Amino acid sequence: MNKVLLGLVLGAILGAIDGMTAWLTPEVRAQIAGIVIGSTVKGIIAGVLIGVFARKVQSIALGIGFGLAVGLLLAFIVAQMQHGYYFQIMLPGGMVGLLVGYATQRYGRGQQSQRT
Amino acid sequence: MTRHSVVLAAQSDNPAARSRAIEAIAVAYWRPVYKYVRMKWNIDREDAADFTQDFFTRLLEREFLDSYDSHKGRLRTFLRSCCDRLFMNQTRDSKRLKRGGGSAHFSLDLEEAERELAIAPSSESPEERFEKEWIRNLFTQGLQRLRASCECGGKMIHFELFQRYDLEDADSKPSYTQMAREHGLSVTDVTNYLAFARREFRRCVLDQLREMTATDEEFRCEAQALLGVEVG
Amino acid sequence: MTQLSDSVVARLRTEMQVPDLEGTRYRIVRHLARGGMGSIWLAEDTVLKRRVALKVLDLVAPADDFGARLLQEARILAGLEHRGIVPVHDAGTLADGRAFYCMKYVEGQTLAQHIAAKNIQEKLRLLERIAEPVDFAHAHGVIHRDLKPENIMIGAFGEVLVMDWGLAKVGAPGLRSAENEISTLVLLTPNPSRVTGQGTVLGTPGYMSPEQARGVTTQLDRRADIFSLGAILAFMLTGSVRGEALAVKGNVPRPLRAICEKAMAADPNARYQSAGEMTDDIECYLNGAPVLAYSEGLLERARRIYARHRTAIVLVAAYLLMRVLFILLSRR
Repeated sequence: MNKVLLGLVLGAILGAIDGMTAWLTPEVRAQIAGIVIGSTVKGIIAGVLIGVFARKVQSIALGIGFGLAVGLLLAFIVAQMQHGYYFQIMLPGGMVGLLVGYATQRYGRGQQSQRT
Repeated sequence: MTRHSVVLAAQSDNPAARSRAIEAIAVAYWRPVYKYVRMKWNIDREDAADFTQDFFTRLLEREFLDSYDSHKGRLRTFLRSCCDRLFMNQTRDSKRLKRGGGSAHFSLDLEEAERELAIAPSSESPEERFEKEWIRNLFTQGLQRLRASCECGGKMIHFELFQRYDLEDADSKPSYTQMAREHGLSVTDVTNYLAFARREFRRCVLDQLREMTATDEEFRCEAQALLGVEVG
Repeated sequence: MTQLSDSVVARLRTEMQVPDLEGTRYRIVRHLARGGMGSIWLAEDTVLKRRVALKVLDLVAPADDFGARLLQEARILAGLEHRGIVPVHDAGTLADGRAFYCMKYVEGQTLAQHIAAKNIQEKLRLLERIAEPVDFAHAHGVIHRDLKPENIMIGAFGEVLVMDWGLAKVGAPGLRSAENEISTLVLLTPNPSRVTGQGTVLGTPGYMSPEQARGVTTQLDRRADIFSLGAILAFMLTGSVRGEALAVKGNVPRPLRAICEKAMAADPNARYQSAGEMTDDIECYLNGAPVLAYSEGLLERARRIYARHRTAIVLVAAYLLMRVLFILLSRR
């Protein structure tokens, strides 16, 4: 699987899981559908960005760093929109970005290998 | 093509062929045998000469050669073992007899053999001396062939140059220029003639070796041993 | 005729060995090595001003065809153009009738010297590079039949060369050696072994396959070389020839031991069927993937997967731990 696609798929899956764990917070349980969709979209956007980065830059350390940064940033935006729950949103978001960043660098198929 | 081998001829039933072949073997091996027994058993020259005569007489009478199998070892190793066996048997039985009267008598140049023994290195073993003598005899016979070949081919000048340059000890070796002057040749001619003679000498030695072996395999092994010199 | 002195005999003997290069473009520099029925000499190509190696037979071969054998060896090499196979530049007959061929002079180390300070991964990569020209030769119908560490050279720039194709046999790919060509080849080997009742033994003890050791040369195929590659691998991993190599337990990782054992199976059908198959398995080992030759247990598989994906597993575990903590905290 190429890096962008891998990032997209992983981002979507982890984003969806992230969203579903919001069910554990009773105050937001009623909005679970919107949260899951939003989280999934956030995950997809993060995943695509991280995947594109992985295509350009071959470095696990930089991939992890970029993934973490993108994950935290997008999570921050969502938390801002929620006017709260910064810790509960940003920590998982950052971790997802970190995971996707590592996975795209380590397991994604690059442009060079696609040509051969 | 039938392979000509004195070893095979020496084992034949034809007395004339056998006699000629044994004589050829005696020519090739009497010096190695003589010097070997002199060094190994520390016997005097007369006893060594008698033993050598006795040894080749027995060879002629088929005492040893019938049991020789080229697949099992080299002829010279076989002959050396026969020497040892004969000497020990004679010593044990006190039967080292002087033979004469009706027995085959081979021509031995003892004076020269003794002179050569006198200058042999003291650290050398009898086995090493045997090997060296074998090679020396082989080369001497090769030289005889070379001379004959050059005479036939009208190339005596080639042989003379070879003799003058390659058969001299290092300190008395002339230069190419000197030889060219002596023979009224160019230096290039000297170079080419020497190259021809060396090539022919090699062929003659190997031809001689081939005749002294029973099979192609033995020949190849002996050639390997002969040519297996480390060259710097 | 006056007897020759010892010094003259010694000099003549030396001169007899030196090839007569008259009429060729080469000039002898020095003797390099001796093997079988000939020697290898360092020479200078006086036209191209480069050093070359000349392989020259000791003898002119009128009645048998060692000269033809040597030229056949040269032709085999010339037909195998691969970076891992020493290239042949020239071949022919010298003025004295001896056959020769001229090849690239390789300056470097033997395999044994080169691997002294290498770790397992480096040794495995090296084995892959040795197998590459062998696989190439097999694809062109050539079996080497004498693969061993002494015939592997590592050049000054790390290039790997498989040398000494003196026992090589050409046939169509997949075809086996013909019996009628083998019987004289034994005398071309550096250390010729016995002649068996069944046939002729070719190769080097320790590195030759059981079928080679039995002299069953009509059934030799590429898998004989696979056996030798396995023995070379065992040598690289343990420093000794195969007999003792695999008896050293614990020292060699089990998957690698299995690769060696598969390559050196007594039954050719049980071995890797090609050098490529063997290197694929080595590559699997290097990448932490399952090795075909080795059946790993559940625990071993788990350890291997963990070793291969350690970082990802740790990250996922950390993520899951974080999730669990969040759940616990939210319940409080």
